[in-house]
Amino acid sequence: MVDLIQKTLLYAVPLMIVALAGVFAERSGIVNLALEGIMIFGAFVGVWFVRVVQEWGWFAEAKANGDWLALQGFELLAMLVAALLGAVFSLLLSFASVNLKADQTIGGTALNLMAPALVLFLIRILANQSTLYMAEGDAASWFMIKKSTLGIDSSTELNPILEILINKVYLATYVCILLFAILSILLYKTRFGLRLRSCGENPQAADSLGINVYRMRYAGTTISGALAGLGGFVYALTTAGCSANGDVAGFGFLALAVMIFGNWKPLNIAGAALLFGLFKYIAASYSSIEVLSNLGISSYFYRLLPYLVTLIVLAFTSKKSRAPKAEGIPYDKGQR
Amino acid sequence: MKQMKKLLALLLALMMCFALAACGSSSDTTTTDDTSSDTTEESSDADTTEESSDADTTEEAGDEAEAEVEDTTSTETVSADDIDDNMTSEDGTYEIAFVTDVGSLKDKSFNEGTWNGVKLYAYENGLSYKYYQPANESEATDDDRYDAMAAACDAGAKVVVCAGYLQEVALTQAAIAYPDVQFVFIDGYTLYDGDTALTNVAGINFQEEQCGYFAGYAAVMEGYTELGFSGGGGGTNPACCRYGFGYVQGANDAAAALGITVNINYSWLYGSSYSASPDLQTMISGWYSNGTQVVFACGGSMFSSIATAAAENDGAVIGVDVDQSSESDTVITSAMKGLAEATEYAVGKYYDGSWDEIGGTTTTLGAADGAVGLPTDTWSMTNFTVEDYEALLASVVSGELVVDSDYENNFDQEYSNVTVNMIE
Repeated sequence: MVDLIQKTLLYAVPLMIVALAGVFAERSGIVNLALEGIMIFGAFVGVWFVRVVQEWGWFAEAKANGDWLALQGFELLAMLVAALLGAVFSLLLSFASVNLKADQTIGGTALNLMAPALVLFLIRILANQSTLYMAEGDAASWFMIKKSTLGIDSSTELNPILEILINKVYLATYVCILLFAILSILLYKTRFGLRLRSCGENPQAADSLGINVYRMRYAGTTISGALAGLGGFVYALTTAGCSANGDVAGFGFLALAVMIFGNWKPLNIAGAALLFGLFKYIAASYSSIEVLSNLGISSYFYRLLPYLVTLIVLAFTSKKSRAPKAEGIPYDKGQR
Repeated sequence: MKQMKKLLALLLALMMCFALAACGSSSDTTTTDDTSSDTTEESSDADTTEESSDADTTEEAGDEAEAEVEDTTSTETVSADDIDDNMTSEDGTYEIAFVTDVGSLKDKSFNEGTWNGVKLYAYENGLSYKYYQPANESEATDDDRYDAMAAACDAGAKVVVCAGYLQEVALTQAAIAYPDVQFVFIDGYTLYDGDTALTNVAGINFQEEQCGYFAGYAAVMEGYTELGFSGGGGGTNPACCRYGFGYVQGANDAAAALGITVNINYSWLYGSSYSASPDLQTMISGWYSNGTQVVFACGGSMFSSIATAAAENDGAVIGVDVDQSSESDTVITSAMKGLAEATEYAVGKYYDGSWDEIGGTTTTLGAADGAVGLPTDTWSMTNFTVEDYEALLASVVSGELVVDSDYENNFDQEYSNVTVNMIE
């Protein structure tokens, strides 16, 4: 049970944060199909940063001394770098769709096609491999918080809730949840959030009240890019052992589905992400869940489940979904 | 507006370049000039050789590398990691070529072990070397592999080392097309053109069941009772199957000796391309949290996922093919086969003129040849000691203990002290 909840969270958190990335872009009026591409790019940048810093030996001493606070700082730094570069990468999309008034779907698709190619190309050059790994050790021994890291003997049994919260967890998970909460409040309870959302609903009206629509859309897409880049790295760190290979298993697209399923609203999105996270967990480790492994159903069925559930859920809920009105339409000042 | 169009056009053009460069990895990939990083080290070493300083950098790098070879052969032994993966020869030909199996060159396992043999032999004898990765990575077709071999032969290769049984079809074709080139088929066997054996192909394979046996035996003797096996190739790779079968037999014999029963989770899932994946990591992590204590990671880069899962849960890992203890603290031992040694041996056969001994036949190397075993230099187990291992090794070498390698017929048997829990 502990394992189930923790692993579900591990899968759900990147989905959640990337779906929120989608919300920020779409609420400002830009369809960000490039989430997948930005995630791939962010994952690569984060892992590469970790690798380079390891090679410089900045944190070698901290690792040797078991100074876990420093290592958590290192993790945060890598997350920050991934977010920054994700934001930069998303500028390509904002430039094409805000300044050039290009079709946003095509721009996003172009980024999705470009990211894996670019990343694989860079990995080949930098590491001469098809997958980029950490320079030494693995994600769990460097970044994971366990009972032993906190100075509690690993054989002591804590109460189950503490066990879930502080044993075998990544700080990144909590940072993402916190960010999710803060940014949701930003979007709904602040002046900036209201302005941003108005640009996605009726940009002409917003403009008439003196809001710079272009700037708002840039802001929305850039926040979106930062979150997607961050989400990509968190995915790579927590589930892929801090490795990047130009692939995030379709999590960017799954996040789009989560966003639509969650009706562009943060709380619904969190719920939807947990649902998909659960199915992803079941798909990968049904063999460790006795009830399921005794059913004797083919493993392919379980691996199909997350995507099947996405399809079914979207088919039933998308009728009710209410997308921001002006999303996907380039803003033209002259139009009435 | 016009400027923006220009910018956009430039951007799109760049994108196309990247896409082409990354997707169309041609068969003679790489030789990206990685030399730059090593040039600095080398130039300091090679000061004494008084190279003409006006030569341009790349040439210089090549020259110096060779000069260094001559200097150091007799003095010190080098580790394969210190030898550059990319070398530039003066005339653009490369005598010893290596064609990789699926998975990346630096997989810290099968490909890398074989490649180290190539590099070491070439380095010690001052020969030129180069590796070729068939296009399309894990989806490489026989044509892709043939193209890589042909590229190697066209670049002047005298010996081509091909790793992995998957290369059979392409290798047969290449061996017929290039009769003057000698091919070393690692994890392979004799190849035929119709009914006649191709004498320019030397098949080398290993008795993996023996080192798998040692690993399983050691793990149980060390005190582990909940074991796991995660293999690559989806159960189609004979070498991985032999490893796994030996592992189960070893665990069974040790459990019988101790009078206990042992459970083994046995899986080929998520390993078809021998690569790391989140799914694999989650599955193995689930095993560990359900009580599995040690997992035999039998498939190239899959090791990375399994070691991470082990580190998450304070579990243990058994490495494969080469001594992987330096990769992770979780490794308790590795089922090794002497890939580098066998490669050096086979390539050496060509250069000392005794190729006929191995050409056209299958050479099977086992414990008796010192080609498989556990690493005693980095021994970390305490209950099962090096002495215990050496006694076990001796009984296999003497033929007193025979490990069954016929996994196709005998794997599905009732083991007296082991319950194999197939996960599929």
